Amino acid sequence: MGAKRKKSEGEELLNEGEKENDKNNENISKKMKKEILPSMIKNKEKRSAVHAKLKHQKKVEKRKKLKARDAAEKRALELGEEPPARMTPRTIENTREPDETVCRPDDDELFAGNDADEFSSILKQGCAPKILITTCRFNSNRGPAFISELLSVIPNSHYYKRGTYDLKKIIEYAKKKDFTSIIVVHTNRREPDALLIIGLPDGPTAHFKLSKLVLRKDIKNHGNPTGHIPELVLNNFATRLGHRVGRLIQSLFPQSPEFRGRRVVTFHNQRDFIFFRHHRYIFETKESKGSDANGKKAKDAKSEKTSQQKVITRLQECGPRFTLKLVSLQHGTFDTKGGEFEWVHKPEMDTSRRRFFL
Amino acid sequence: MPRTTTLECPGCPPLRALTFDSLGLIKVIEARGEHGGVPKVVERWGDPHSSNCVLAASIDDSQNDPLLAVARKNGLTDILNPLNGDLRVAISKAGDSGAQPEDDGIVGLHLFKRQREESSSRSRTLLTCTTKGKASMRSIEVTKVSAESSCSTVKSWNVCASGTIAFSKVDISEKFSLFGGKGVEVNVWDLDKCEKIWTAKPPPKNSLGIFTPTWFTSAAFLSIDDHRKFVAGTNDHQVRLYDTSAQRRPVMSFDFRETPIKAVAEEPDSFNIYIGNGSGDLASVDIRTGKLLGCFIGKCSGSIRSIARHPTLPIIASCGLDSYLRFWDIKTRQLLSAVFLKQHLNEVVFDSAFADKEVANAAADAPMLEIQNGNDTQEDATETLPVKRKEAPEEKDRSKKKKSKENEESKKLKSKKKRRAKGDIHDDAS
Repeated sequence: MGAKRKKSEGEELLNEGEKENDKNNENISKKMKKEILPSMIKNKEKRSAVHAKLKHQKKVEKRKKLKARDAAEKRALELGEEPPARMTPRTIENTREPDETVCRPDDDELFAGNDADEFSSILKQGCAPKILITTCRFNSNRGPAFISELLSVIPNSHYYKRGTYDLKKIIEYAKKKDFTSIIVVHTNRREPDALLIIGLPDGPTAHFKLSKLVLRKDIKNHGNPTGHIPELVLNNFATRLGHRVGRLIQSLFPQSPEFRGRRVVTFHNQRDFIFFRHHRYIFETKESKGSDANGKKAKDAKSEKTSQQKVITRLQECGPRFTLKLVSLQHGTFDTKGGEFEWVHKPEMDTSRRRFFL
Repeated sequence: MPRTTTLECPGCPPLRALTFDSLGLIKVIEARGEHGGVPKVVERWGDPHSSNCVLAASIDDSQNDPLLAVARKNGLTDILNPLNGDLRVAISKAGDSGAQPEDDGIVGLHLFKRQREESSSRSRTLLTCTTKGKASMRSIEVTKVSAESSCSTVKSWNVCASGTIAFSKVDISEKFSLFGGKGVEVNVWDLDKCEKIWTAKPPPKNSLGIFTPTWFTSAAFLSIDDHRKFVAGTNDHQVRLYDTSAQRRPVMSFDFRETPIKAVAEEPDSFNIYIGNGSGDLASVDIRTGKLLGCFIGKCSGSIRSIARHPTLPIIASCGLDSYLRFWDIKTRQLLSAVFLKQHLNEVVFDSAFADKEVANAAADAPMLEIQNGNDTQEDATETLPVKRKEAPEEKDRSKKKKSKENEESKKLKSKKKRRAKGDIHDDAS
């Protein structure tokens, strides 16, 4: 070891001596490096050293580029010109494969289809939604906790014990009692893992995979929701299938939100995953900090004019947080044996990671 | 890594298909051009309303005076001109029966191609069947000029006492018809005498003593052996072959996947059939052995409601709840093209009288002329088509000229697919 170290030290000394030479040789060595990839070097120490150096170089270059870009922007702003347009990053979403099933606002068939579908009576406020929530046969632990939170999220929802009833019997019962939808929370190994939303009396049945469930008590600084009817946000349900799923979800909630309650329920679709969030929001008026800092002179000069009040929205998360993924959409009510599917996922449909169905 | 295979769609030879959807719209899809035309929606008839939902449709694509019959949810049966969508006759069901159209919708409709001997030359015969088993035959005077016409000579009978009828089919000679449904065994009727000539018997209980209730969802006559053989699909994903001359129980039955069979179509002059099920699987099966020849793979995600075989070209069309109309090559089982039609589709039919672009345009302009030109265009079509048919198999090294060859090939195919179809083969044995 010692000998080696000495040697390396010696090398360093040598290197210092030869620095000038090195500088001359740098161009040549760079060219060499371009040809020799670090993976081609057999000595591990050498290889890692070369690799680290390359990486560092890249990092430095990137930083330079960023600095140059920022400087150019700043200069443009100072000169009062338009800053150069920011580059938009290429994401999977914005390079999504073109899909002919995406809904268009000028499509008259879409609206005619909306009028004709199973949810139109609820969504046109013909009747109020009434939801029955039940579970699979065996549930414990997080299942009931999740259901109690669902009950607080969805207005006019009622929990019924599953008992040993068949789901088809429950559907019949719910039809008789004028329920408009059934939600079944399926648990596996004491963990909710699937959600079944059934439209009644003849609406479709959507089967979702449920994951990433975080209950209210596990959310830091969570709020407690009020009993007001929440507002509903449905994001990115673009295709015809997505539109239908969106309408199914929409039909779970009353269509007249109470804005006093300042409660929002969000279903955000991104890459076929539907993210559920439940928030409370508040509008606060604050004096903007910038005016304070520049402050006092200006205040003297312009007196009350600077009391620019900025409205800030603050969010507080409350209620559960989970992610849904559509597994299948079935025509008619729940029927595993004789059901007709409107959409089922099949492996041959995964032709690209830039192809989405919702 | 996800699979990144792209399905290339070669396009279709010139053809014309009509689809019927749940909003009552009729869409005309045409593919044009000699090689690999992309089918497009050319026309749309009707205004979208849920009560117009098409339940059944039947086309008579003869060269002179083609007609299209469409049964709707609100009890109306329209007879249209398939060339330009003009309404010829509208028959309301409420006239002859007091039942509500909602709970007694028409499930089977057949427009007879041949003229019934007793009727005059201008009249057509229509067979309808409702879910409650009221079958009726009526002849309709179709006048050329306008929608004013009369329907008369109603001959009606009850197919079943209880249960609901799911389908009715008429064989190629148009003398016999087939009914079946939920709680109704398949039965064959002689249409001339209006009497039941044959009823199926349910298969025996299985080894556990469990009896599955009858629920037929679709059927098709095998055209190779006139009316005696037919195939029926059941709700518990079974496909059964019946032979009326042999026995009342199925001659053969096999299972196909896990969801109910929703559509069955036959291949003319062959023992192959096409079956489509509730989760969007479409397959072709040799019905003599019950062996799966192969599946039609192409991102089909919704239940298949209807399969149609093109009368001359080797093409089938399938449509269903995923609102796509798909054209498939029957030899290579490749997707030729898919058209998105926005609604849940209930029926698809081919219009074989369609030949080429110019003719179609002429037809759109002057439907009257088309009727006279009809003969010529048909001849053109028959002249051009065989050439294509010859070309296609040579490319794929799949010339099926003799039956023996075909058999060999099918064996090869089977051996290829053996592992896949193993489950099905086992089921055949049982």
